[in-house]
Amino acid sequence: MSEKISFTLNGKPMSVDAEPEMLLIDLLREELNLTGTKRGCDNSTCGTCTVVINGKAVKSCNTPISKVAGAEVLTIEGLAKGMELHPIQKSISESGAVQCGFCTPGIIMELYGLLENNPNATKSELENALNKHLCRCTGYEPIRDGALMAQKLMQDRK
Amino acid sequence: MEYQYVGKSYNRPDAISKVTGKAIYLDDVRLPGMLHAAILRPEYAHAKILKIDTSAAEKMPGVVKVVTGKGCHYHYGDNIRDLVPMAVEKVRYIGEPVAAVVADTLAHAEAAMRMIKVEYAPLPVYVDALDAMKPGAVLIHEENGQYWHLPTLMPKPGTNIANEYHLVKGKGADGMKDAEVILEGEFMFPHGSCSAIEPHGSIVWFKEDNTIEAWSSSICPFIIREDLATSYGVPVSDVRVHIPDVGGCFGYKSDITVEQTVAWIASFVPGYPVKWVATRQEDYTSTLLGHGIRTVMKIGAKKDGKLVAIEAKIYHSGGAYADTPVNVTMAATHNCTGPYEFAHCDLTGYTVYTNTPAVGAYRGYGHQETQLATERMMDMLARKLKMDPWELREKNFLSEGKVNALGEKMWKTHGNIYKCAEIVKKKVYTKAKPAEDENFYYGRGFAAVMKSPKGAPFSTKGCYMKMNIDGSVSVVMAGAEVGQGLRTVIRQVAGEALKIPPEKVRVYTEIDTQFSPYEWQTIGSMFTTQGGRAIIRAADKLIAILKATAAQVLKTDVDYLEYDGDSVYLRNDPDIRVAVKDINRGYITEDGITIGELAQSVSDARLPRYSNPDKNGQGSCGVSYTFGVQAAEICIEKKTGKIFVDKFTSVFDVGQVINPKQIRGSVMGGALMSIGATLYEKVDYSPEGKITNPHFYKYHLPTYKEAPEMDVEFVETPDAIGPFGARGIGEHSVIGPAPAILNAIYDATGVDFFEIPVTPEMMKKALETKGQVTK
Repeated sequence: MSEKISFTLNGKPMSVDAEPEMLLIDLLREELNLTGTKRGCDNSTCGTCTVVINGKAVKSCNTPISKVAGAEVLTIEGLAKGMELHPIQKSISESGAVQCGFCTPGIIMELYGLLENNPNATKSELENALNKHLCRCTGYEPIRDGALMAQKLMQDRK
Repeated sequence: MEYQYVGKSYNRPDAISKVTGKAIYLDDVRLPGMLHAAILRPEYAHAKILKIDTSAAEKMPGVVKVVTGKGCHYHYGDNIRDLVPMAVEKVRYIGEPVAAVVADTLAHAEAAMRMIKVEYAPLPVYVDALDAMKPGAVLIHEENGQYWHLPTLMPKPGTNIANEYHLVKGKGADGMKDAEVILEGEFMFPHGSCSAIEPHGSIVWFKEDNTIEAWSSSICPFIIREDLATSYGVPVSDVRVHIPDVGGCFGYKSDITVEQTVAWIASFVPGYPVKWVATRQEDYTSTLLGHGIRTVMKIGAKKDGKLVAIEAKIYHSGGAYADTPVNVTMAATHNCTGPYEFAHCDLTGYTVYTNTPAVGAYRGYGHQETQLATERMMDMLARKLKMDPWELREKNFLSEGKVNALGEKMWKTHGNIYKCAEIVKKKVYTKAKPAEDENFYYGRGFAAVMKSPKGAPFSTKGCYMKMNIDGSVSVVMAGAEVGQGLRTVIRQVAGEALKIPPEKVRVYTEIDTQFSPYEWQTIGSMFTTQGGRAIIRAADKLIAILKATAAQVLKTDVDYLEYDGDSVYLRNDPDIRVAVKDINRGYITEDGITIGELAQSVSDARLPRYSNPDKNGQGSCGVSYTFGVQAAEICIEKKTGKIFVDKFTSVFDVGQVINPKQIRGSVMGGALMSIGATLYEKVDYSPEGKITNPHFYKYHLPTYKEAPEMDVEFVETPDAIGPFGARGIGEHSVIGPAPAILNAIYDATGVDFFEIPVTPEMMKKALETKGQVTK
């Protein structure tokens, strides 16, 4: 049975009529055309579908939409303010972390969940966060470089 | 050499669209009236189809059409026309399309697909080439030999051998008589998956006006266009193929693969675009795999280490269809000699039908599979000869004037592998290796490697270049941007050639066969080399147009003129000049009469003198080579047998670095892919031919914490072909890791491995059976 579910999406109120078991990735991609959230696997392994719910990085491919009722959901499309990129987007775009770009939105959302809560995240917290994401292109070093650049920018911002 | 724009780390033009989630990949494409397809895969890897019952599926909600292979009379393929879009009378591998449902939503299509009932009569299954080659083996293709194929291919009718490629250099096998020391070995590089994070997918739309429009996560839009036109009997110009952003390729999105299947399905619902995107499981079971190559090698040398002869048999488990593996086998065969000169070669490559997904391109294209053998054999031969393994290699390296297996004479401009070796030695071998401790063994190993493109003689890359009214330039090519960064390379090469800042060069985003110039396909580490050449040719033509117009304006001869990016001026009096922005749409004279030509040009570039192999299997089939040396520093945990790569070093002679940041990322990514193949990655089959690990949590890709520290350096001996001396590097870093790590394992433990991946279980068992390890 479909239900009315209300939540905040990228800062704006959103209300949908949908099956509560529907997965968040399907709602975002198929119903709301927010295609920046990617699908890379069948069983929550690759991390490319990561979004931020109530400040925490979460895989949208195993989150039923019933869980986002009343929550604040942020997707990759909600990060930039107009032409101004979020520091994580800016750093990742400049560090060489982007090759094919398919893992990129998930990694950016993961780092957002980590660094917006704790700009002083330790090396091992950063490593644990990045270890949840598969990248086939870069060898990960440029992603680490981008994460560290972003951390520096965000620390200076505070 | 110092250039103004080449050799500097410009940012990618597509980085911003990718970090904002706005880049459009195949699954992000939405079209009016779009329907979705789900494809049924068989329960058996080899079976006759007795009956397909689609009646229950047809009654399911949202179903528009249920499709089977019944009535499909065409085969397709560019090398051997043995492929079918959907199984007709039999299935030959576990991921083969058997039937499909087209529905309004993907969920409806999938639900209905599960209602299709199929009866099979199972046949014997062969997952390894050696089993499929045994006398009396059931034929996977009874038609073998009857299919149309390239004249250079030699199928063996009545067997499962789809092609036998034989290369003879010098005295061939007889050359072994000149050897004083002979070493033999057998090595296995099992099936693996490119595993791009974006799965394969396609959309095909048969239109009422008899045209076909398609979108695909592919690197060969023009092959798709020609293949669909041939199969459906329409002019090539009536098929339009779009390539959106591609989320990683690494080989398996080359050649036509899933597009024909989606087209077959879509042909039953004309008027509607039909989308199919692989699940991760389907990406493993139903698209192209890599490798599956067994190398049996025999090397003969003189006592002083001079190599004299090589014999090799390459047994390639090519999968259920041979169109895509056949060239991989050939590349694996003639490149198995590695970066060395052998006076005598006898090399045979068998492309063998097996009941597995077809093998296709995988970054490295046959080179890493057989050079695993060569580079392990070189270390073992050095041991046998009691020689330093560096000295043995250096004595035999291909260099200026030496002749490779194909009979190609090496040029100075193919690069300097000695320099690469020198740098790796200094980086890795001038410090002491850590001493074995309570928990770990330590080892280091290296490999010297080479790669040629393995393209096709007709392979070319086109370029359309137009200068805009403000002097900015638009470049349109058909190189598929899969992450390798070719859009940045185009900007920098075009900027350098036109003497304008790369920021003034706008590069195409999607490829569309309706607007893009022809390109064969974006493969073989050849975009920078061939595409860059095409850019320089287009720039030269464009500058010639500007000069021709300027000659009229300045009332002089063209050959008195110089061009500097801003102006065209008189060589002997630069004060006499006209601005480029005043002549790039022709020059408007005082009375409005306009003279001269529009500044736009068309060009293309092939590899010069690239040929088919001759009767000896030799020929100008490489042309461009890149050499390098890679080294692994590892430790092995005694308790668990786990192998950790602490540091990995890669040094290649790339001719000229175009973009330091990008080239480093490319080399690191390639090295990590192959570290994955060496330690974790293998497509596993049950005896019945089912793939038992078609998911990321079972087929383990290296993660962040498993990536070693990387040391990457480049030698720059300018190339004769590529733009500003640059040569190919996209694939090369995958070749060395497996032999370097296996050589390092020997260095650490005295254990020789001949196959990959070396799992902790294998390592532990080897250490146990070896007992107390002695070096």
